Amino acid sequence: MSATITGQDPASDAPQSPRDAARGPVSDDPDGPALQDRMPQWFRSPRSLPLYVLAIGLAFCYFSYRPLWHEDLWGHLSYGRLIVSTGGIPEFEPFMPLAEGVPLVDTAWLSQVLGYRVQELFGVTALQFLYAGAIALCLSLLAWRFHQRTGSVAFSLAGLLLFLWVGSHVLAVIRPQLAGLCCFVGLFVLLNSRRPHAADWFVVPVLFALWANLHGSFPVGLLLLATFCAGRAIDVWRRTGRFSRVWKDRRTRRLLLLTELAAAAVLLNPYGLQLYAEVFAVASNPNLQDLKDWEPLTLRMQQGRAALAVAFALMVLIRFSPRRVRATEALLLIGLGAAALWSSRFLVWWAPLAAFSFVQHGHAVVRKISFRPFAKLSRPRPAGCDPSAYRRSLWTVAAIGLAWICFACTPFGFRLVHGEGPELAESVSEETPLGTAAYLREHPPRGQIFNAFEQGDYLVWAGPPGLPVFVTSHAHLVPAQVWYDYVSVLLTEDGWESVLERYGVNTVVWPHRHERLMSRLRASDEWELQYEDSNSAVFVRKTPLPGTEARPQ
Amino acid sequence: MKTRRPSPRIMLIVQAAVCAAFAIAFARQPDALGRGMRAAGLEIGAFSDVPVTRDVVQQVEPLYDDPQVVSDEELAMVLGKVRPRFSRRHLRPNYVEHALRTWGADATFADDAVLSGREMVEFLSNHGRYAKSWGGDTPPLLINETGGVAVRWGDDPSASVHHDHLLASLSEAGVHLQEKVVPPGNRTKTFGSLLQQALRDFRIDERETEWSAMAFALWLPPQTKAWRNSAGRRITFDLLAARLMRGDARLGVCSGTHRLYSLALLWRVDRRHGILSPGVRAAARDYLQRMRDAIAASQFPDGHWASDWARGEASRRRPVDEPEYKAVIATGHHLEWLAIAPPEFQPPREVVRKAARWLVQTTAGKSRAEVLARYTFYSHVGNALTLWRKTRPAEFWTRHVSHRNTANGP
Repeated sequence: MSATITGQDPASDAPQSPRDAARGPVSDDPDGPALQDRMPQWFRSPRSLPLYVLAIGLAFCYFSYRPLWHEDLWGHLSYGRLIVSTGGIPEFEPFMPLAEGVPLVDTAWLSQVLGYRVQELFGVTALQFLYAGAIALCLSLLAWRFHQRTGSVAFSLAGLLLFLWVGSHVLAVIRPQLAGLCCFVGLFVLLNSRRPHAADWFVVPVLFALWANLHGSFPVGLLLLATFCAGRAIDVWRRTGRFSRVWKDRRTRRLLLLTELAAAAVLLNPYGLQLYAEVFAVASNPNLQDLKDWEPLTLRMQQGRAALAVAFALMVLIRFSPRRVRATEALLLIGLGAAALWSSRFLVWWAPLAAFSFVQHGHAVVRKISFRPFAKLSRPRPAGCDPSAYRRSLWTVAAIGLAWICFACTPFGFRLVHGEGPELAESVSEETPLGTAAYLREHPPRGQIFNAFEQGDYLVWAGPPGLPVFVTSHAHLVPAQVWYDYVSVLLTEDGWESVLERYGVNTVVWPHRHERLMSRLRASDEWELQYEDSNSAVFVRKTPLPGTEARPQ
Repeated sequence: MKTRRPSPRIMLIVQAAVCAAFAIAFARQPDALGRGMRAAGLEIGAFSDVPVTRDVVQQVEPLYDDPQVVSDEELAMVLGKVRPRFSRRHLRPNYVEHALRTWGADATFADDAVLSGREMVEFLSNHGRYAKSWGGDTPPLLINETGGVAVRWGDDPSASVHHDHLLASLSEAGVHLQEKVVPPGNRTKTFGSLLQQALRDFRIDERETEWSAMAFALWLPPQTKAWRNSAGRRITFDLLAARLMRGDARLGVCSGTHRLYSLALLWRVDRRHGILSPGVRAAARDYLQRMRDAIAASQFPDGHWASDWARGEASRRRPVDEPEYKAVIATGHHLEWLAIAPPEFQPPREVVRKAARWLVQTTAGKSRAEVLARYTFYSHVGNALTLWRKTRPAEFWTRHVSHRNTANGP
């Protein structure tokens, strides 16, 4: 492989004519002809590619080293394990005895199976790889569209940072929602392409069929499509003042049909029409109101402050931007922003939209004001130049090299290259009850246990088989009364002891972070501490409750 | 690649295809809409009536006739005191329910001051009769609901005290599924609608499941062994049995003894119709045997049990200080469930005889007024002792009265 290394700035020494451009940059080096880039055109890349690969690769490395979260991930893997071992999706909640008979509509069954299979084949580091890979995919798609729209590396990277900042609370955790986010970002990027493609008629329905099986967030995608359609219709109507033009508009029709096809494609899931009902049922489940993830967005939250800052920046930029604000953009920013105020979990869907608007309007504002320090960032390519003239094999090679380095540095890469990976304890969060699960495997408790909901999933995954956990993070599957009782014990409200008696609880597995119940149990004469580590403790009733020894299997 | 504007023909084809896709999906899952309604917090279409194919409730007969447990004279004395001689004014539903399940719907008494079975059924199932006793200002006992008839229950003396107790009492009393039920508004419904409402409302985690479990076991098998409540949860007799066995055995209505009665009843129905899975059946057997051992170990020398009977021997060794009526509750209820429990769940017969002797003596020492003041507890005593003679109170009483009249002569 040979390449021309000039050290020249292509933007400043751009070829003067189309013919020159076709030949590529000219070198004064006498060895120039020998170092001519002879690689095929498809292999050549712009100089920006290594920069993007480096930036996204660093993010990939960072997320690869993030410990696996101790909550619902393990529950999803447990469902995946059950589906793989039984060959079918359970009809009713299988892990919580107190939720027996509660119908299970597994909206993430495909993610769970994929996650379990990957973990089974390559270990937990592969989960970290999947997690970081999903985020890197989102970043790559966004970077591609940002750069295509602005041509500015700086603004594109700023947009990526903004996306990571606003969505950080959701991006910090590996869960099937990330698969949904990838689908969402993919759809958003596709819808923001300058020209529609015939392939969209195939890609969009397939994307939704996949999305409906990966995660229950597909309604956000439908909303995105519908908003693009409505926004386009509004823009056409505002421009022409005639509804007939809206109906005749090629893009409006196309978006309408895509929305309908996407809605129909969602039906390609094991539950069919019921999936629609279920996603709304989950979102409206009252148990979720007690979970922090589902709380309304406030300024007490880091993501709330980030959202406010970005919203303010967007208002300023839009105010001074020469770009027209399309109806779609306004509808999405306001609509999903309002949804995020209702539940902070929606903020992650707002993040890519906000980043996109920020990049577009920020770039436009800088170009408008010709602010010198930023002038270079927004300088347009000379007219008549062939973009391929700036593509070189060197950048491709550099990008591949960087990508490999970023991959090899990760725990999964290390495992693939060297055949050994880190210990499990190094790959999971500190709150993961590793020791407690091991203790319970050696000393299986008899009868119903009481546990914190955030540890229930891991106890199901790694505890003794059939461990009767009280709750798991799948709170929407917990019957209302059981959840109410769980919260009352968690808060040690009056009568918390009698709640434990009513459920026949003789064993409490409790994390240190919930100090109130922990201190009550320590002070109680009825309970005995049997196991404790830095993470959690196991308390057992000194005298088992009458009649609680047996439990139907 | 640039795309052309979709033609009207393409538009129509896509509309038809999408509509067809949704129509097929709906045809495959017609109840998906109901679940959607439920998801939106609406009850419409969320619950389908549970099939009930029998018109008359099945009976779970007592198994033993042991005069050494209670003699005819002792039984007549006890039953004489638990006849429902209530004032018609402000008649407490809870008392009437207990009297009805003890005496049955067909009971008749020569004394007009004593309520007949029919009068009691009418009082509980007809708002007019209820309003006559309590006046128009009292909230009705029966509540008209979209899908059936609900019962007002709680601590209010004018209400039924326990959830589904009215349903279970009418069921045990032998009312017909088509028995008229008249809630306010004169819209006549049937006992079936009361049952359907209970099936719709039932939640496995509610505090008192004893009477719901009993009523469902008496009405639904053998055709229906699983159904869904209005929340979409699948309810089975396995789940009901597990719920009855859940938690501290002392907890539950009447010191946990009603759970044992309901579980023993489920066991009997299971023997007849196979309503439990093998695992739950084994667990229920184990549970009832442990309860049998607990009551054998916790019985006091005079024959009574305390409210903490489930602690076994510890209950006897460290007695709790409690009023006598608590012992009447525990002892009367234990004899009641033991009367329908198969031999494998029986403690030594002497345990039963001692308990019966204590109950007879205690009841004999009470005036009629004292018994009426604690009627709900003593009604169980009367019923339990009668069951141990393998008969029913009304049947025994009719025979006893007839025998007495014959002996006294014209």
